[in-house]
Amino acid sequence: MKRRSLPLWFTSAVLYLFLYAPIAVVVLYSFNAARFGAGWKGFTTKWYGALLADSQALAAAKTTLLLAVFSTAISTTLGTLLAYGLARYRFSGKKIAEQFLYLPVFVPDIVMAIALLLFFAWLRRWLEFFELGLFTMVLAHVTFQIPFVCIVVRSRLAELDPTIEEAARDLGANAWQTFRHVTLPMMVPGVVAGALLAFTLSLDDFIVSFFTSGPGSTTLPILIYSSVKRGVTPDINALSTLLLLASIVGTISVMLFQPAKTPKNLPS
Amino acid sequence: MKKTSTRSAARWLWISTVCFVFAHPVFADSSKLNLFIWSEYIDPQIVKQFEKEFHCKVTLDVYEDAESMLAKIQGGGVSLYDVVVPPDHLVPVMVKLKLLAALRHENIPNLKNLDEKFAGPPYDRANQFTVAYQWGTVGVFLRKTDEQPVDPTWGLFFDRKLQPGSFVLIDSVRDSVGAALKYKGHSLNSTNLAQLKEARDLVLDAKRRSLGFEGSVGAKNRVLARSTRAAIVYSGEAVRAMAEDPGTTYFIPREGSQIWLDNLVVPAKAPHRDLAEKFINFILDARVGAQLSNFTLFATPNRAARQFIRPEVLNNPVIYPPPEIMAKLEFLEDLGAYTRLYDEIWTQIKAR
Amino acid sequence: MPGNRDNEVQFGETLTRRGHLVRSAITSGPGLLWLTLFLLVPLLAMVGISFLTRGMYGQIQWPPTLENYRRLIGFGSFGFDPLYPFLFLRSLGLGALTTVLSVLAGFPLAFFVATLPGRLKTVAVTLVVVPLWTNLLVRTYAWQILLAPEGWLSQLAATLRMVPPGTPLYPGPFAVALGMLCDFLPFMVLPLYASLEKLDWSIVDAAADLGASPVQSLWHALLPQVRPGLIAGSLLVFLPATAQFVIPDLLGGAKTALLGSAIQQQFGPSRDWPFGCAIATSALLLVLAGIRLHARYRGRKGEAL
Repeated sequence: MKRRSLPLWFTSAVLYLFLYAPIAVVVLYSFNAARFGAGWKGFTTKWYGALLADSQALAAAKTTLLLAVFSTAISTTLGTLLAYGLARYRFSGKKIAEQFLYLPVFVPDIVMAIALLLFFAWLRRWLEFFELGLFTMVLAHVTFQIPFVCIVVRSRLAELDPTIEEAARDLGANAWQTFRHVTLPMMVPGVVAGALLAFTLSLDDFIVSFFTSGPGSTTLPILIYSSVKRGVTPDINALSTLLLLASIVGTISVMLFQPAKTPKNLPS
Repeated sequence: MKKTSTRSAARWLWISTVCFVFAHPVFADSSKLNLFIWSEYIDPQIVKQFEKEFHCKVTLDVYEDAESMLAKIQGGGVSLYDVVVPPDHLVPVMVKLKLLAALRHENIPNLKNLDEKFAGPPYDRANQFTVAYQWGTVGVFLRKTDEQPVDPTWGLFFDRKLQPGSFVLIDSVRDSVGAALKYKGHSLNSTNLAQLKEARDLVLDAKRRSLGFEGSVGAKNRVLARSTRAAIVYSGEAVRAMAEDPGTTYFIPREGSQIWLDNLVVPAKAPHRDLAEKFINFILDARVGAQLSNFTLFATPNRAARQFIRPEVLNNPVIYPPPEIMAKLEFLEDLGAYTRLYDEIWTQIKAR
Repeated sequence: MPGNRDNEVQFGETLTRRGHLVRSAITSGPGLLWLTLFLLVPLLAMVGISFLTRGMYGQIQWPPTLENYRRLIGFGSFGFDPLYPFLFLRSLGLGALTTVLSVLAGFPLAFFVATLPGRLKTVAVTLVVVPLWTNLLVRTYAWQILLAPEGWLSQLAATLRMVPPGTPLYPGPFAVALGMLCDFLPFMVLPLYASLEKLDWSIVDAAADLGASPVQSLWHALLPQVRPGLIAGSLLVFLPATAQFVIPDLLGGAKTALLGSAIQQQFGPSRDWPFGCAIATSALLLVLAGIRLHARYRGRKGEAL
């Protein structure tokens, strides 16, 4: 049976084109001089200029970035610890905990969003601290980021050679020292990959942010959604192009940080 | 070297935690105003003027339909926003839900500028909670063609034979169902099950022939972009669009339509109540009120502002309909427990 | 493995059960605690509220009632109308359609990538992953532009008589299907690719040597080996696709209500939080059932995800 044939190449090319068509269109139309409609009316970069003057867009960008940074910091820490704990230690009910961990991956984000909305509304009755805003959004984002960080770090942990850690213990290091100086450095590529993943997830999230946001805490996806609802203006295309760029850079970085299948510094 | 990197990492974490905690709204500075308003409903210049005069920063959050606004306020916005702009029929609901703060009239001397027709409306006779903002109508926005002029009727949407081409319906239950009710000669505030069923079937049928639902601004933009021919919009949207594109027109169908009055209110737990009342007073100023209406091209309830409004605006029958049309316009009312009927209809319309 | 694992040497140290517990509390504790507090508790609250009543003005009120679930089944003010079961079925249908389309399109693509040499393969996989992490909203409204009535795609379809002339491709069911496929395709390709990577070609070759036709080799030698990837991919596509809200909303013209938009409507314009929670609880039960089925399948087969 032929492994790679012309029909396969052709189909795959079409499918790749299909996957990238929307991205290409948005980038292309961010340079479209037409204000309305889908017709092409000439090349221009004025929409990017208009973006810089748009205080709403800038505020949304700032919020999105802050949200991503804070939530990534927290979720990476918690997720990494969680991954290490699950990989190394046992406790009763661990199996249930592991299944529970996968819940945010499969629960529809709208269900999670409204559950959080309700929870914050209820907390507000006692603690004014839970006003909808950046704070609540960070809490929400961390919640769906943790499982993804955990999965990534755990797969990295599974590939580590246990003999190195055992050697460290044999040489007299205690548990904490082993973790600090041996395990953690080996885990770093996985942790970084997990962090980048969490960051991208936060950048692109819409539904959860939509339900847990307050005044002045509009994020870029929320801004884009309201613009789309009203009729897309070209500066949104410019904004989206920049957002796409950020996501693409993030994804490629994650791929670069993925470790090779076999650890390099070991005798095979 | 590893030790210092740990310490600096810990320090960095500590600093960012502190920053994060202080980014919390509780610590927000006091010279801010959070405005929650319909999209494209206020002149950005007015906002800038207010910011300059009162040394504050105004954040603008927008909504496309009234019910979503109420949902947001109910769901926590009551302590986040300082000024909100609800339509008339939702004010009684907000009062009953204790979502509104009483206005202190001593902070709003410009209240006297309001036209008597709009000061003290039926739902708030003493202007205890509301101040009229703008008023307008709901009607049909259409792209003209060289063929003979269309029949000004709601049948354009609800009668298959009269369909003028592609159209969109408005994404708001009271507006769309209300149009169907008016088409059949009923009241916009009907709670009669049979009438509602009829209206529901009309809208459902129209939906199947339509290009979907849009908010007023979105629908207006689609007509301008030529991706649809007809839409249901609010009067101001239409007037602004007609100025941009003279090939479009707006009319109120002969069966009658809706007249609405939007209001400025202050939510019960608004964080900047004093500034909010200053803002309301600012809007009521004669010149600012005129600037507002000259921008939004909706009708003003501000009697003192009329002298500063451009004459072509004052004489525009779309913005200020003549008496014979005014007679066919009806205000929406809050339906209390019957709201659930409309919710069910809306779900049925959207789901089938 | 049952039995006393105390004092077993693991990773260079021995730990009692208590030691494990303490270490677990320090490491896994915070993360699990966070998830319990911000996921489990809210979900339980949501289920609880689904049994409460909507006040006249949209508040959440006592007394507890089964009214929301009655309404969900179809007992509304206008008589019996199984609107929501219909909605669920439609959402499940969309999920199923998306899954089928993803398999049909994903298989050739995964196959192609898996049979590429070394470095090209990594590039090809990256190219599949990149769109996955770009913003869904942006990609969806891009389809609005691509499929606009005056756009060339719509005109092409009209000339090819694929649609009646004058009907735009967007908004409409075709646009929704296209948008869903575009979004979920990578989710199917990645697990399929993972399975195809580990494929034992010798079995396929053996089948061919023994006289099987290409179709037979595909069906009996190739497919069974790919099944775990297929199942994993289907799960990753089917469940989220069923509850998807943004794509049908933006590409379907907000005309067709699905599960996601029905929930959103109750928390938006309709302001009926208890009822919205009831719909969401049902969706949650659906998801949990799906996960359970998958876990049981995995348990039987004993394979990793």
